[in-house]
Amino acid sequence: MISINDLQVEVEGKNVLNGVNLEIPEGEVHLLLGPNGSGKTSLIMTIMGYPQYRITGGSISMNGQDITELDITERARLGIGLAEQRPPSVSGVKLRMLLDYILKEHEDKQERVLELIKEANMESFLDRDINEGLSGGEIKRSEILLLLSRQPLFAMLDEPDSGVDLDSLELLSSMINILFSPKKEYPAKRGTGLLITHSTYMLDRIDVDKAHVMIAGELVCSGHPQIIMNKIVDSGFESCIECREK
Amino acid sequence: MSREIIMVSNNIKELDRNDSTILSEVGISTEDEKRSGTFVLKDSEPVCSCSSLEGVELLPMAEALEKYDWLWGQYYWGLIPEDDSPLPMDQTISKKPLGYFLRVKKGEHVKLPSQAALYMTGSLGKQILHNVVILEEDSELELITGCISNAFMRGGEHIAVSETYIGKNASLINTMVHSWGRDVRVKPHSATIVEEGGSYVSNYISLRPAGIVDSNPVTYLNGTGASAKYFSVILGSESSEITLGGDVYLNADETSAEIAHRAVCTGGKIIQKGLLVGKASCHAHVDCSGMLISPGEDGYIESIPGLRSHHEEAQMSHEASIGKIAPQQVQYLMAHGMEEREAISMIVRGFLDADITGLGPELDQRIAEIAELAGHGE
Ligand SMILES: Nc1ncnc2c1ncn2[C@@H]1O[C@H](COP(=O)(O)OP(=O)(O)O)[C@@H](O)[C@H]1O
Ligand SMILES: [Mg+2]
Repeated sequence: MISINDLQVEVEGKNVLNGVNLEIPEGEVHLLLGPNGSGKTSLIMTIMGYPQYRITGGSISMNGQDITELDITERARLGIGLAEQRPPSVSGVKLRMLLDYILKEHEDKQERVLELIKEANMESFLDRDINEGLSGGEIKRSEILLLLSRQPLFAMLDEPDSGVDLDSLELLSSMINILFSPKKEYPAKRGTGLLITHSTYMLDRIDVDKAHVMIAGELVCSGHPQIIMNKIVDSGFESCIECREK
Repeated sequence: MSREIIMVSNNIKELDRNDSTILSEVGISTEDEKRSGTFVLKDSEPVCSCSSLEGVELLPMAEALEKYDWLWGQYYWGLIPEDDSPLPMDQTISKKPLGYFLRVKKGEHVKLPSQAALYMTGSLGKQILHNVVILEEDSELELITGCISNAFMRGGEHIAVSETYIGKNASLINTMVHSWGRDVRVKPHSATIVEEGGSYVSNYISLRPAGIVDSNPVTYLNGTGASAKYFSVILGSESSEITLGGDVYLNADETSAEIAHRAVCTGGKIIQKGLLVGKASCHAHVDCSGMLISPGEDGYIESIPGLRSHHEEAQMSHEASIGKIAPQQVQYLMAHGMEEREAISMIVRGFLDADITGLGPELDQRIAEIAELAGHGE
């Protein structure tokens, strides 16, 4: 589904990704790990097409199509979606306005989204400005709700657990599971995505197929999520850094 | 055709189909079952003046002056002294004015809106009119005023004196939609008086900016508990010069006023003002907000919210902010599938709607149109 080849990116003149290679096949959800500032968010924002993340080398393709030159809208319309780590607030624009826009073309989904809003206890957000004055957990719920209503082919979630209390973690985990659950058309195939989180609580509830570790703008290790997580929980990223130096 | 032989129709359905299409752009409906009264002035001819309700009287101003000799002085030139009028009103115009007289009788709660269309086609360089609106005690009305010039029209001038009287516990919502050709000069001169417990809401929406608009409506809240709300939405573009004011005198206790101006500048000059004058125990707030979208070299917005207090119990506040659209916000919406211009429209729409609710579908529609235009960078 997504193929990233020797991707190099700079932000404000500073190299943040130094040759990233990543392959995410359809029906798999991958986990991206790495210390703060290693470039995880940069990778995700670059895949979405945010122009501040300037691609200086390499390429991104989706289902065989090179999307390196496409703008954000084009990528979104191809089916890439993102729940941001720190989304901006959009004053004046109500969540309802954006949801209406998204659902305009998917009337069949409206009912389901309304149900979700009820389940996630989000009715009161609908008439508030997007992300404005929301708590950490509320922002995450809103971001994931938007992803759920769009049902992107490739969904990325950047630290959906950060700044969230324990009760919300449960809810957010189940929302993410709905996001990646098999669609009617392909009952045996999961959704495709890339998840950034270090929350063992969340990872106990969400199945991931493979984990990657990013250090200083490079993917230094890929493998079985449980094994890699255990290692990191034990000894932090130190071992990854040592491993990389070997 | 000379003026004398034109009959004022009393049925809006007889309007030329072309005309009715144009008028619908500014909220004028030709289905008379949707309106309680209709007045249409085309250039210098009142082509329609009718009302479907006993309690609503709608007449060409000249006819009303003949019919009611109490009008002159008490109402006509009652709020705006004739001598002070800055407009070129010579005596002949003053005696046989264009414009309308609208009266809602005591206790009448009119469900359907009334409407007045002031329409310029270009066969006349100037449209000068004088309107009087009277809401008697305990009456209620929503009035839609649509002003429009034919798209082909170049130049021209629209000058209007309006005097509005809102009686005890009466309520008027006046929604004015303007859509003028590029070089038209527009100079409304409006004054409103509100008595005890009365309420006045004035919505002003400018769809296509004229060349020059200069408007400074004045409202006097003279009765205890009277209230006024001004809300304006304007889109300025290159070569337009818009000055939009609004003075409210809070002369009695428990009066309240709110002014909210919203301007989007894609060029040209916009000055938005508001002056609250507190002379009693009252509450009032004025907010002049603006948004710049590629205003070019010469485009600007100037916001001047003003407060003048004579009374220690007058609680008055103001705010003003002018900003541009943050690119992160546009990109965020694009990441949810919107095109850049759609995202800008949605943000403009949010800005225009902010803190203002219950405008009704008609106005929501107009605001959506403005937001749409702004998204195209017009
Ligand atoms: N918009 C930005 N402006 C300046 N520096 C940035 C920006 N975004 C990211 N960076 C820098 O890029 C590096 C990687 O950051 P980021 O991708 O956010 O890491 P992570 O998500 O792994 O914590 C950091 O050094 C960060 O300071
Ligand atoms: Mg990050």
